[in-house]
Amino acid sequence: MGVFEFMAGKKKPSPGEVAKERLKVVLAHDRLKLNPELLELIRGEILSVVSRRLAIDEDQVQVNLAHEGGAEKLLANMPIKREKITFEWDPPSHTPNSNVLHGTVHVDTTDDEQA
Amino acid sequence: MDSRVITITSGKGGVGKTTTTANLGTALAMQGKKVVVIDGDIGLRNLDAVLGLENHIVYDLVDVVEGQCRLRQALIKDKRQEELYLLPAAQTRDKNAVNSVQMEQLCQQLRQEFDFVLIDSPAGIEQGFRNSIVGADEIIIVANPEMASVRDADRIIGLVEAAGKPEPRLILNRLRAEMVKRGDMMAVTDVLEVLSIDLLGVVPEDEAIIIATNKGEPAVYDKRTRAGRAFTHAAQRILGEEVPLDDLVESTSLLERLRRLMGFGPALGEKPVRSQSS
Repeated sequence: MGVFEFMAGKKKPSPGEVAKERLKVVLAHDRLKLNPELLELIRGEILSVVSRRLAIDEDQVQVNLAHEGGAEKLLANMPIKREKITFEWDPPSHTPNSNVLHGTVHVDTTDDEQA
Repeated sequence: MDSRVITITSGKGGVGKTTTTANLGTALAMQGKKVVVIDGDIGLRNLDAVLGLENHIVYDLVDVVEGQCRLRQALIKDKRQEELYLLPAAQTRDKNAVNSVQMEQLCQQLRQEFDFVLIDSPAGIEQGFRNSIVGADEIIIVANPEMASVRDADRIIGLVEAAGKPEPRLILNRLRAEMVKRGDMMAVTDVLEVLSIDLLGVVPEDEAIIIATNKGEPAVYDKRTRAGRAFTHAAQRILGEEVPLDDLVESTSLLERLRRLMGFGPALGEKPVRSQSS
Protein backbone atom coordinates (compact mmCIF):
# COMPACT_ATOMS: atom_id res chain seq x y z
CA MET A 1 0.00 0.00 0.00
CA GLY A 2 1.60 3.18 -1.15
CA VAL A 3 1.55 6.32 0.84
CA PHE A 4 0.02 8.19 -2.04
CA GLU A 5 -3.13 6.07 -2.05
CA PHE A 6 -3.36 6.34 1.70
CA MET A 7 -3.14 10.06 1.56
CA ALA A 8 -5.29 10.47 -1.53
CA GLY A 9 -7.86 13.16 -1.18
CA LYS A 10 -6.67 14.16 2.27
CA LYS A 11 -3.42 16.05 2.69
CA LYS A 12 -0.40 16.41 0.54
CA PRO A 13 2.16 13.75 1.49
CA SER A 14 4.83 15.02 3.85
CA PRO A 15 8.38 15.51 2.56
CA GLY A 16 9.42 12.41 4.49
CA GLU A 17 6.78 10.34 2.73
CA VAL A 18 7.70 11.82 -0.64
CA ALA A 19 11.34 10.87 -0.02
CA LYS A 20 10.37 7.30 0.83
CA GLU A 21 8.21 6.90 -2.28
CA ARG A 22 10.85 8.43 -4.54
CA LEU A 23 13.49 6.17 -3.04
CA LYS A 24 11.38 3.09 -3.64
CA VAL A 25 11.10 3.97 -7.30
CA VAL A 26 14.73 4.91 -7.82
CA LEU A 27 15.96 1.81 -5.96
CA ALA A 28 13.73 -0.43 -8.04
CA HIS A 29 15.40 0.99 -11.14
CA ASP A 30 18.87 0.74 -9.61
CA ARG A 31 18.38 -2.85 -8.49
CA LEU A 32 17.01 -4.04 -11.80
CA LYS A 33 19.90 -2.43 -13.67
CA LEU A 34 17.47 -1.70 -16.50
CA ASN A 35 19.26 0.41 -19.04
CA PRO A 36 17.87 1.57 -22.38
CA GLU A 37 19.80 -1.13 -24.24
CA LEU A 38 18.25 -3.86 -22.12
CA LEU A 39 14.77 -2.39 -22.55
CA GLU A 40 15.31 -2.30 -26.30
CA LEU A 41 16.36 -5.96 -26.23
CA ILE A 42 13.28 -6.92 -24.22
CA ARG A 43 11.12 -4.91 -26.59
CA GLY A 44 12.49 -6.81 -29.56
CA GLU A 45 12.08 -10.19 -27.91
CA ILE A 46 8.51 -9.62 -26.74
CA LEU A 47 7.65 -8.27 -30.17
CA SER A 48 9.06 -11.33 -31.92
CA VAL A 49 7.09 -13.69 -29.69
CA VAL A 50 3.79 -11.86 -29.94
CA SER A 51 4.19 -11.22 -33.66
CA ARG A 52 3.99 -14.95 -34.32
CA ARG A 53 0.35 -14.88 -33.27
CA LEU A 54 -0.81 -11.35 -33.82
CA ALA A 55 -0.14 -8.54 -36.23
CA ILE A 56 1.50 -5.82 -34.23
CA ASP A 57 2.09 -2.27 -35.27
CA GLU A 58 5.84 -2.30 -34.69
CA ASP A 59 6.31 1.45 -34.64
CA GLN A 60 3.83 1.84 -31.82
CA VAL A 61 5.34 -0.72 -29.48
CA GLN A 62 6.44 0.71 -26.14
CA VAL A 63 8.19 -1.08 -23.31
CA ASN A 64 8.73 0.84 -20.11
CA LEU A 65 9.31 0.37 -16.44
CA ALA A 66 6.52 1.86 -14.37
CA HIS A 67 5.75 2.26 -10.71
CA GLU A 68 2.14 1.32 -10.15
CA GLY A 69 0.22 0.28 -7.09
CA GLY A 70 3.33 0.17 -4.97
CA ALA A 71 5.14 -2.26 -7.26
CA GLU A 72 7.49 -2.08 -10.18
CA LYS A 73 6.05 -3.24 -13.44
CA LEU A 74 7.35 -3.73 -16.88
CA LEU A 75 4.67 -2.42 -19.19
CA ALA A 76 4.68 -3.39 -22.82
CA ASN A 77 2.17 -1.63 -24.94
CA MET A 78 1.76 -3.16 -28.36
CA PRO A 79 -1.21 -2.04 -30.41
CA ILE A 80 -2.78 -4.51 -32.85
CA LYS A 81 -5.49 -3.82 -35.34
CA ARG A 82 -8.22 -2.13 -33.31
CA GLU A 83 -7.01 -4.05 -30.32
CA LYS A 84 -4.52 -3.37 -27.69
CA ILE A 85 -2.61 -5.95 -25.79
CA THR A 86 -0.79 -5.24 -22.57
CA PHE A 87 1.66 -7.58 -21.04
CA GLU A 88 2.22 -6.99 -17.35
CA TRP A 89 5.20 -8.49 -15.68
CA ASP A 90 6.18 -8.18 -12.02
CA PRO A 91 9.94 -8.34 -12.18
CA PRO A 92 11.59 -10.39 -9.44
CA SER A 93 13.67 -7.51 -8.15
CA HIS A 94 16.09 -9.60 -6.15
CA THR A 95 17.00 -11.97 -8.94
CA PRO A 96 17.80 -9.60 -11.75
CA ASN A 97 19.00 -12.32 -14.09
CA SER A 98 15.93 -14.50 -13.93
CA ASN A 99 13.74 -15.04 -16.93
CA VAL A 100 10.19 -13.86 -17.30
CA LEU A 101 8.14 -16.56 -15.66
CA HIS A 102 4.80 -15.05 -14.87
CA GLY A 103 2.83 -12.42 -16.66
CA THR A 104 -0.67 -11.39 -17.47
CA VAL A 105 -1.93 -10.54 -20.91
CA HIS A 106 -4.83 -8.16 -21.15
CA VAL A 107 -6.56 -7.82 -24.49
CA ASP A 108 -8.59 -4.69 -24.78
CA THR A 109 -10.83 -4.28 -27.78
CA THR A 110 -11.57 -0.65 -27.14
CA ASP A 111 -9.06 1.85 -28.38
CA ASP A 112 -9.08 4.41 -25.61
CA GLU A 113 -7.89 2.64 -22.51
CA GLN A 114 -4.29 3.17 -21.63
CA ALA A 115 -2.27 1.05 -19.27
CA MET B 1 41.27 -15.92 19.69
CA ASP B 2 37.82 -15.26 18.27
CA SER B 3 38.47 -11.97 16.65
CA ARG B 4 36.06 -10.03 14.44
CA VAL B 5 36.93 -7.84 11.48
CA ILE B 6 34.20 -5.25 10.91
CA THR B 7 34.15 -2.74 8.08
CA ILE B 8 32.28 0.55 8.38
CA THR B 9 31.20 1.78 4.98
CA SER B 10 28.52 3.91 3.31
CA GLY B 11 29.01 4.61 -0.38
CA LYS B 12 28.27 8.29 0.05
CA GLY B 13 30.82 10.54 1.71
CA GLY B 14 30.18 12.72 4.70
CA VAL B 15 27.57 10.54 6.40
CA GLY B 16 29.70 9.77 9.44
CA LYS B 17 31.82 6.68 8.72
CA THR B 18 34.90 8.01 10.45
CA THR B 19 32.95 9.33 13.43
CA THR B 20 31.21 5.96 13.72
CA THR B 21 34.47 4.04 13.50
CA ALA B 22 36.15 6.20 16.13
CA ASN B 23 33.20 5.98 18.51
CA LEU B 24 32.55 2.26 18.10
CA GLY B 25 36.26 1.52 18.47
CA THR B 26 36.53 3.62 21.60
CA ALA B 27 33.32 2.20 23.06
CA LEU B 28 34.44 -1.38 22.45
CA ALA B 29 37.79 -0.62 24.11
CA MET B 30 35.92 0.92 27.04
CA GLN B 31 34.08 -2.39 27.34
CA GLY B 32 37.43 -4.08 27.84
CA LYS B 33 38.02 -5.31 24.30
CA LYS B 34 41.33 -5.06 22.51
CA VAL B 35 40.62 -3.01 19.41
CA VAL B 36 42.48 -1.70 16.38
CA VAL B 37 40.86 0.86 14.09
CA ILE B 38 42.23 1.08 10.56
CA ASP B 39 41.90 4.21 8.46
CA GLY B 40 41.20 2.80 5.02
CA ASP B 41 40.91 6.19 3.37
CA ILE B 42 44.37 6.41 1.85
CA GLY B 43 45.17 9.93 0.73
CA LEU B 44 42.44 11.50 2.86
CA ARG B 45 43.42 10.49 6.36
CA ASN B 46 41.00 11.64 9.07
CA LEU B 47 40.44 8.94 11.65
CA ASP B 48 43.64 10.05 13.42
CA ALA B 49 42.23 13.54 13.95
CA VAL B 50 38.86 12.33 15.21
CA LEU B 51 40.70 10.25 17.78
CA GLY B 52 43.05 13.12 18.62
CA LEU B 53 46.12 11.16 17.50
CA GLU B 54 47.14 13.26 14.51
CA ASN B 55 50.45 14.28 16.07
CA HIS B 56 51.50 10.76 16.91
CA ILE B 57 51.85 9.31 13.44
CA VAL B 58 55.19 8.05 12.22
CA TYR B 59 54.39 5.12 9.95
CA ASP B 60 51.17 4.25 8.18
CA LEU B 61 49.24 1.45 6.50
CA VAL B 62 51.12 1.78 3.21
CA ASP B 63 54.48 1.60 5.02
CA VAL B 64 53.34 -1.64 6.64
CA VAL B 65 52.11 -3.14 3.40
CA GLU B 66 55.28 -2.19 1.55
CA GLY B 67 57.48 -3.54 4.33
CA GLN B 68 58.98 -0.15 5.27
CA CYS B 69 58.23 -0.88 8.91
CA ARG B 70 56.89 -3.63 11.10
CA LEU B 71 53.18 -3.67 11.89
CA ARG B 72 53.85 -2.91 15.54
CA GLN B 73 55.75 0.24 14.67
CA ALA B 74 52.82 1.67 12.76
CA LEU B 75 50.19 0.96 15.42
CA ILE B 76 49.50 4.07 17.48
CA LYS B 77 48.28 3.57 21.00
CA ASP B 78 45.30 5.66 22.03
CA LYS B 79 45.85 8.42 24.56
CA ARG B 80 43.30 7.11 27.05
CA GLN B 81 42.32 3.56 26.18
CA GLU B 82 45.04 1.06 26.92
CA GLU B 83 43.58 -1.46 24.53
CA LEU B 84 42.82 0.81 21.58
CA TYR B 85 45.17 1.22 18.64
CA LEU B 86 45.07 3.12 15.36
CA LEU B 87 46.60 2.08 12.07
CA PRO B 88 46.62 5.37 10.16
CA ALA B 89 46.20 5.85 6.43
CA ALA B 90 48.96 7.29 4.30
CA GLN B 91 48.30 10.92 3.48
CA THR B 92 50.60 11.31 0.50
CA ARG B 93 49.64 8.23 -1.47
CA ASP B 94 46.55 7.22 -3.38
CA LYS B 95 44.04 4.43 -2.94
CA ASN B 96 45.80 2.14 -5.39
CA ALA B 97 48.93 1.96 -3.23
CA VAL B 98 47.39 -1.11 -1.57
CA ASN B 99 45.71 -4.10 -3.17
CA SER B 100 43.07 -6.53 -1.92
CA VAL B 101 45.48 -9.37 -1.22
CA GLN B 102 47.65 -7.13 0.95
CA MET B 103 44.62 -5.89 2.87
CA GLU B 104 43.41 -9.41 3.50
CA GLN B 105 46.83 -10.42 4.78
CA LEU B 106 46.93 -7.38 7.02
CA CYS B 107 43.55 -8.30 8.52
CA GLN B 108 44.76 -11.84 9.16
CA GLN B 109 47.83 -10.52 10.93
CA LEU B 110 45.79 -8.18 13.13
CA ARG B 111 43.36 -10.95 14.05
CA GLN B 112 46.17 -12.62 15.98
CA GLU B 113 46.35 -9.76 18.44
CA PHE B 114 43.00 -8.02 18.60
CA ASP B 115 39.42 -8.86 19.57
CA PHE B 116 38.13 -6.32 17.08
CA VAL B 117 39.56 -4.94 13.86
CA LEU B 118 37.45 -1.99 12.69
CA ILE B 119 38.08 -0.68 9.19
CA ASP B 120 36.99 2.82 8.22
CA SER B 121 36.20 2.50 4.53
CA PRO B 122 36.66 5.37 2.09
CA ALA B 123 33.59 6.73 0.31
CA GLY B 124 32.85 5.39 -3.13
CA ILE B 125 32.71 1.92 -4.61
CA GLU B 126 36.18 1.69 -6.12
CA GLN B 127 39.38 -0.07 -5.08
CA GLY B 128 39.56 1.58 -1.66
CA PHE B 129 36.09 0.30 -0.80
CA ARG B 130 36.84 -3.18 -2.14
CA ASN B 131 40.06 -3.29 -0.13
CA SER B 132 38.20 -2.31 2.99
CA ILE B 133 35.68 -5.15 2.78
CA VAL B 134 37.86 -7.97 1.46
CA GLY B 135 39.01 -9.15 4.87
CA ALA B 136 35.83 -8.33 6.79
CA ASP B 137 33.61 -10.78 8.66
CA GLU B 138 30.89 -8.20 9.15
CA ILE B 139 29.85 -4.98 7.46
CA ILE B 140 28.26 -1.96 9.09
CA ILE B 141 26.62 0.51 6.76
CA VAL B 142 26.30 4.11 7.89
CA ALA B 143 23.51 6.12 6.28
CA ASN B 144 21.68 9.36 6.91
CA PRO B 145 17.89 9.53 6.49
CA GLU B 146 18.00 11.32 3.15
CA MET B 147 17.70 10.30 -0.52
CA ALA B 148 21.30 10.26 -1.73
CA SER B 149 22.68 8.48 1.30
CA VAL B 150 20.01 5.77 1.35
CA ARG B 151 20.35 5.24 -2.38
CA ASP B 152 24.11 4.79 -2.08
CA ALA B 153 23.64 2.51 0.91
CA ASP B 154 21.45 0.29 -1.26
CA ARG B 155 24.21 0.09 -3.87
CA ILE B 156 26.68 -0.88 -1.16
CA ILE B 157 24.34 -3.56 0.19
CA GLY B 158 24.26 -5.09 -3.28
CA LEU B 159 28.05 -5.00 -3.61
CA VAL B 160 28.53 -6.47 -0.15
CA GLU B 161 26.19 -9.33 -1.04
CA ALA B 162 27.95 -9.86 -4.35
CA ALA B 163 31.25 -10.10 -2.47
CA GLY B 164 29.81 -13.03 -0.52
CA LYS B 165 29.75 -11.20 2.82
CA PRO B 166 26.99 -11.74 5.38
CA GLU B 167 24.11 -9.30 5.50
CA PRO B 168 25.27 -5.89 6.66
CA ARG B 169 23.73 -3.98 9.54
CA LEU B 170 22.75 -0.32 9.51
CA ILE B 171 23.68 2.61 11.68
CA LEU B 172 21.25 5.38 10.85
CA ASN B 173 23.20 8.51 11.63
CA ARG B 174 22.20 12.16 12.03
CA LEU B 175 18.52 11.50 12.57
CA ARG B 176 16.59 14.62 13.46
CA ALA B 177 13.73 13.45 15.61
CA GLU B 178 11.85 16.73 15.49
CA MET B 179 11.88 16.63 11.68
CA VAL B 180 10.66 13.02 11.69
CA LYS B 181 7.89 14.06 14.06
CA ARG B 182 6.81 16.78 11.65
CA GLY B 183 6.95 14.34 8.74
CA ASP B 184 9.77 16.30 7.15
CA MET B 185 12.32 13.49 7.40
CA MET B 186 12.11 9.77 6.75
CA ALA B 187 11.55 7.77 9.92
CA VAL B 188 13.78 4.90 11.01
CA THR B 189 11.16 2.39 9.90
CA ASP B 190 10.93 4.02 6.46
CA VAL B 191 14.66 3.59 5.86
CA LEU B 192 14.64 0.02 7.17
CA GLU B 193 11.71 -0.85 4.95
CA VAL B 194 13.26 0.66 1.84
CA LEU B 195 16.65 -1.01 2.42
CA SER B 196 15.44 -4.30 3.99
CA ILE B 197 18.31 -4.24 6.44
CA ASP B 198 18.80 -4.99 10.12
CA LEU B 199 19.33 -2.06 12.44
CA LEU B 200 22.40 -1.76 14.63
CA GLY B 201 21.80 1.72 15.94
CA VAL B 202 20.19 5.11 15.50
CA VAL B 203 22.34 8.15 16.20
CA PRO B 204 20.69 11.55 16.50
CA GLU B 205 22.09 14.67 14.90
CA ASP B 206 24.05 16.18 17.75
CA GLU B 207 26.29 19.23 18.04
CA ALA B 208 28.28 17.21 20.53
CA ILE B 209 29.84 15.34 17.60
CA ILE B 210 31.36 18.51 16.19
CA ILE B 211 32.57 19.53 19.64
CA ALA B 212 34.01 16.07 20.24
CA THR B 213 35.80 16.09 16.89
CA ASN B 214 37.15 19.59 17.57
CA LYS B 215 38.65 18.29 20.78
CA GLY B 216 39.77 14.95 19.35
CA GLU B 217 37.78 13.06 21.96
CA PRO B 218 35.09 10.70 20.66
CA ALA B 219 31.59 11.50 21.95
CA VAL B 220 31.27 8.14 23.74
CA TYR B 221 33.41 9.57 26.56
CA ASP B 222 30.60 11.96 27.44
CA LYS B 223 27.61 9.95 28.63
CA ARG B 224 25.47 13.08 28.65
CA THR B 225 25.56 13.40 24.88
CA ARG B 226 22.80 11.64 23.02
CA ALA B 227 25.03 10.73 20.10
CA GLY B 228 27.66 9.36 22.47
CA ARG B 229 25.06 7.21 24.21
CA ALA B 230 23.74 5.97 20.88
CA PHE B 231 27.22 4.88 19.79
CA THR B 232 27.84 3.18 23.13
CA HIS B 233 24.58 1.27 22.72
CA ALA B 234 25.51 0.25 19.18
CA ALA B 235 28.83 -1.08 20.50
CA GLN B 236 26.97 -3.04 23.15
CA ARG B 237 24.77 -4.53 20.44
CA ILE B 238 27.90 -5.56 18.54
CA LEU B 239 28.87 -7.44 21.69
CA GLY B 240 25.54 -9.23 21.60
CA GLU B 241 23.74 -7.28 24.31
CA GLU B 242 20.14 -6.35 23.81
CA VAL B 243 19.90 -2.62 24.29
CA PRO B 244 16.65 -0.81 23.52
CA LEU B 245 16.77 2.28 21.33
CA ASP B 246 17.08 5.58 23.17
CA ASP B 247 14.04 7.80 23.12
CA LEU B 248 15.21 10.40 20.64
CA VAL B 249 12.01 12.39 20.69
CA GLU B 250 12.26 14.35 23.88
CA SER B 251 9.35 16.62 23.21
CA THR B 252 6.94 13.72 22.91
CA SER B 253 3.65 14.30 24.66
CA LEU B 254 2.92 12.57 27.93
CA LEU B 255 0.04 10.67 26.39
CA GLU B 256 2.25 9.27 23.63
CA ARG B 257 4.94 8.29 26.11
CA LEU B 258 2.34 6.47 28.19
CA ARG B 259 0.95 4.65 25.20
CA ARG B 260 4.46 3.65 24.20
CA LEU B 261 5.23 2.42 27.69
CA MET B 262 2.10 0.33 27.63
CA GLY B 263 3.06 -1.14 24.29
CA PHE B 264 0.69 0.84 22.11
CA GLY B 265 1.49 3.49 19.60
CA PRO B 266 4.60 3.82 17.50
CA ALA B 267 7.97 2.85 18.84
CA LEU B 268 10.82 5.26 18.60
CA GLY B 269 11.51 6.61 15.17
CA GLU B 270 8.38 5.22 13.65
CA LYS B 271 6.13 7.37 11.66
CA PRO B 272 4.23 9.65 14.01
CA VAL B 273 0.54 9.24 14.54
CA ARG B 274 -1.05 12.06 12.67
CA SER B 275 -3.34 14.11 14.82
CA GLN B 276 -6.90 14.19 13.65
CA SER B 277 -7.20 17.93 13.91
CA SER B 278 -9.95 19.42 11.82
